[in-house]
Amino acid sequence: MTPAGKVLLFFAWAAVIAGLGWFVERNLVVGSDLRLFMPSPRTARERLVLEEIGEGPASRMLLIAISGTDPRAAAETSRALVKALRDSGEFRWVANGEGSLEDIPERLLAYRYLLSPTLDDARFDTAFLSEQLHERLRDMASPAAGFLEPLLPRDPTLELLKLAESWQPATQPQLLYDVWFDAAGTEALLVAESRAAGFEPNGQRAAADALRHAFEQARTDATLALETSGPGTFSVLMKERTQAEARRLGTVATIGMVVLLLAAYRSVPILVLGLMPLASAGLAGLAAVSATFGEVHGITLAFGFTLIGVAQDYPMHLFSHQHAGLQPRDNVRALWPTLATGVASTCVAYLAFLFSGVRGLAQLSVFTVAGLAVASLTTRYLLPPLVPDRGRDAAESALLGRLWNRIAGLPRPVWLGLAIGALCIAVLWLSPRPLWENSLGGLTPVPRPLIERDIALRRELGAPDIRYLLVIQGDDAQAVLAREVALDPQLAALAASGALAGFDHAGRYLPTREQQLRRQAALPDRSALQASLDAALRTTPFKAGVFAPFLDDVEQARSLPTLGPEDLAGTPLEARVGGLLLQRDGHWTGLVTITGLRDPAALERVAAATEGATLLDLKQASEDLVAHQRERILWCLAASAVLLVVVVFVALRDPARVRRVLAPMALTTLVVLGLLHGAGVSLNLFHLIALVLAAGLGLDYALFFERAADDPAEQRRTLHAVLVCSLSTLMVFALLALSSLPVLRSIGITVAAGVVSNFVLALLLTRPREERHS
Amino acid sequence: MALALTTAVAHATDVDTRALLARLSRPAPDTTTFVEVRYSGLLAEPLVASGRLQHRADGALVREILEPYRETTTLKGENVRLEREGSKPRSFSLDRAPELRGMLSSFGALLAGDLGLLERHFVVTTRGTEARWQIELIPMDEKLKRRLARIQVDGTLDSARCFTMSEPDGDASVMAIGVQGPAELPKPLARESLAAWCSTGAEP
Repeated sequence: MTPAGKVLLFFAWAAVIAGLGWFVERNLVVGSDLRLFMPSPRTARERLVLEEIGEGPASRMLLIAISGTDPRAAAETSRALVKALRDSGEFRWVANGEGSLEDIPERLLAYRYLLSPTLDDARFDTAFLSEQLHERLRDMASPAAGFLEPLLPRDPTLELLKLAESWQPATQPQLLYDVWFDAAGTEALLVAESRAAGFEPNGQRAAADALRHAFEQARTDATLALETSGPGTFSVLMKERTQAEARRLGTVATIGMVVLLLAAYRSVPILVLGLMPLASAGLAGLAAVSATFGEVHGITLAFGFTLIGVAQDYPMHLFSHQHAGLQPRDNVRALWPTLATGVASTCVAYLAFLFSGVRGLAQLSVFTVAGLAVASLTTRYLLPPLVPDRGRDAAESALLGRLWNRIAGLPRPVWLGLAIGALCIAVLWLSPRPLWENSLGGLTPVPRPLIERDIALRRELGAPDIRYLLVIQGDDAQAVLAREVALDPQLAALAASGALAGFDHAGRYLPTREQQLRRQAALPDRSALQASLDAALRTTPFKAGVFAPFLDDVEQARSLPTLGPEDLAGTPLEARVGGLLLQRDGHWTGLVTITGLRDPAALERVAAATEGATLLDLKQASEDLVAHQRERILWCLAASAVLLVVVVFVALRDPARVRRVLAPMALTTLVVLGLLHGAGVSLNLFHLIALVLAAGLGLDYALFFERAADDPAEQRRTLHAVLVCSLSTLMVFALLALSSLPVLRSIGITVAAGVVSNFVLALLLTRPREERHS
Repeated sequence: MALALTTAVAHATDVDTRALLARLSRPAPDTTTFVEVRYSGLLAEPLVASGRLQHRADGALVREILEPYRETTTLKGENVRLEREGSKPRSFSLDRAPELRGMLSSFGALLAGDLGLLERHFVVTTRGTEARWQIELIPMDEKLKRRLARIQVDGTLDSARCFTMSEPDGDASVMAIGVQGPAELPKPLARESLAAWCSTGAEP
């Protein structure tokens, strides 16, 4: 190719990369819902669990504390914050304990007689009214007279006040300046339910920003401080910590990589060319996922780039084998069968994740397979014309020569390999500790002080339990509400016995239509009510006629259409009922949240005896899901291992060679598993993916060492290539292994250990035995 | 006009308010009996309740009604707790009841004999003589003014006799201090006759 042609090719390739980058940038939607990495549900119960993890009101709930030197300022800010958050659109529901009498719209006022339970066991007769009126006289002589008296002509039974009180949480913090405060009286407390699901960090970030902004606007005092807690806060915190740490380590790794490549090849053009296949691979992977799934999960993105980092090795093999007198095109042709075998078998391994039943892993699979294919094809077809055909020959390095001879002289006791393998199996087999980590929280653990603070705030606020949730299902909203109402006495009994502190469900706010009709039927007509009221009034000093507005409201309530969930729009009940009563593809689900649960077994008994009720233990259920998911992934991996052997066998067509190539990788997997387990590490999904990555690397190393069996110069060039590849990989993952976050650390340690073991074992096990003597 | 005003002010200063407040101050703990009469536009006849007012050492004010029913209101800090026999206790904050906050701040200032505190919240006018005086308090805060038009304290020598709280809508309550029961008040309890009783000290 002419020099002008080379320049043209380079810029054309760079232009394609830039164009692809632009396309991806324009079309990429990065999702952050962690449930994408959870398995698809197989049973109705699993579907329920997945819906409730992150969707249930408890997981959306943010606990908010405003502290400062002046509690009064904190209370004022709390009030202003509630208004601002209600207007922000990021929250479904915000509460700070303020009575919501003023929030009830005029059109709902007459509904108080249908919503309040008073008429379930009382009638508006002379005796009842007389008792109520006397109670009101006492109210009028009390210090509460100032705000109660204006309500009386319309509402002598104080039905509105009863309703507003019944809508408050079952257990609520103390009120100071009319808003919730902690027991010490120093922090104003609020709860808010975000629109975004709890484990959707992007949505939670938006909610947190809205909250921070509203607080800055609402604060009345510079000393006030805002603090939030809850699943949403934690998911944002852990996502950002993970990202920040990955970015920091990634920057260090990139610098290290550049230094290493410059040291190995002493050429800036080589450095730039070396990055082109990787850049092409990353963008092709993104484009493929974007086209297949519509969006890319943040984890797929971060993790995918880690996995296709192996593509960086492909050009290195080409560079290390390049020397004067060898056309790059011939070089790549000679390397291609080996390279292609490695790529094909690695792709087969990653294809396993496509069938794992986990959307996030399927994305990862598409990303990796597309990326690796593009990286190998560009290395094969686009790179050779651009590679300078002269340059340093790695074979001329005396150091490498001595190193190779030293290695060749090492004893290679096959029995030791077998013994190590057997030892690892024994460790895995005999250890009493569970091999796997099932807890999702274990991957990104929230710092202990934050957890303790969360527990304390949760207790102060009487916020619902995030682990247990009672789910009521029914064909329509009325069926669900009826079941909830029927459960009330049993739940109240549990509360009385101390098994739980309180509960909340839609039926507390919205009675069934049947209940409403029953109450409506119990309302007397105007003349009967007038007669009873007149009789009751004769025993009191009230003036005649002051209760005319009451008579009007009762008369109106007698003919109101009953309220259903759809009639609540624009009322304070909309958010409460909307969060607890949900319509999902043809059926209705009611959520009963539990506060201060001390005896889950007692609640489980109640749930088991109730039709349509299920008690979800979200922690247990999610761990079961993780276990099922892993089982499925392991089967997929087993299938792909078989396929991988087939691919290698087809490529090498010699059982002895196949054995030599596969031995280091198989033994390494055992060694890494044994080491991790022996060191007390419980394995998670990320360990598994990292093991696949390590195995792919090991296979490449072994394939190249096996190929270089005959020629001493080729041996040195191969050693150079594999040294550069493994050192760069080791550096990247050793950095990750230093991370403070288990998710990054588990990947880092697994791959770093895998690279070392694979490199050593590939050197020792793949060369045919006779070669030592020749 | 200017002359009249000067006269009124001169008249108002006949009593040394600071000295009067100093004589009225009662260090906690202190207990006194009272009868409260409530006049409302909703009622044809006033409501009468009698009981005990306690100023506790911790600063809390406890208003106990003993007749004709039992009820205890504890006012402590910002919280009001209302307990009545036969019903659920009710709590609310002073922010819900500005008139109560006004009453409390005047009461607190009087019990402490603190004119400065009183003048921070009210326009203070004193009338009458040392033997038979009247302190009128007009709130300065607009929010409070909407709920409480004025407080009038009537008394003789070194003891307060009546607290009259008048609301803008014409409703009012009168708390007669140091009185054991309604029997000691004029009959019938028309507003004018009770006002006269408060200001003249006439025994019925």
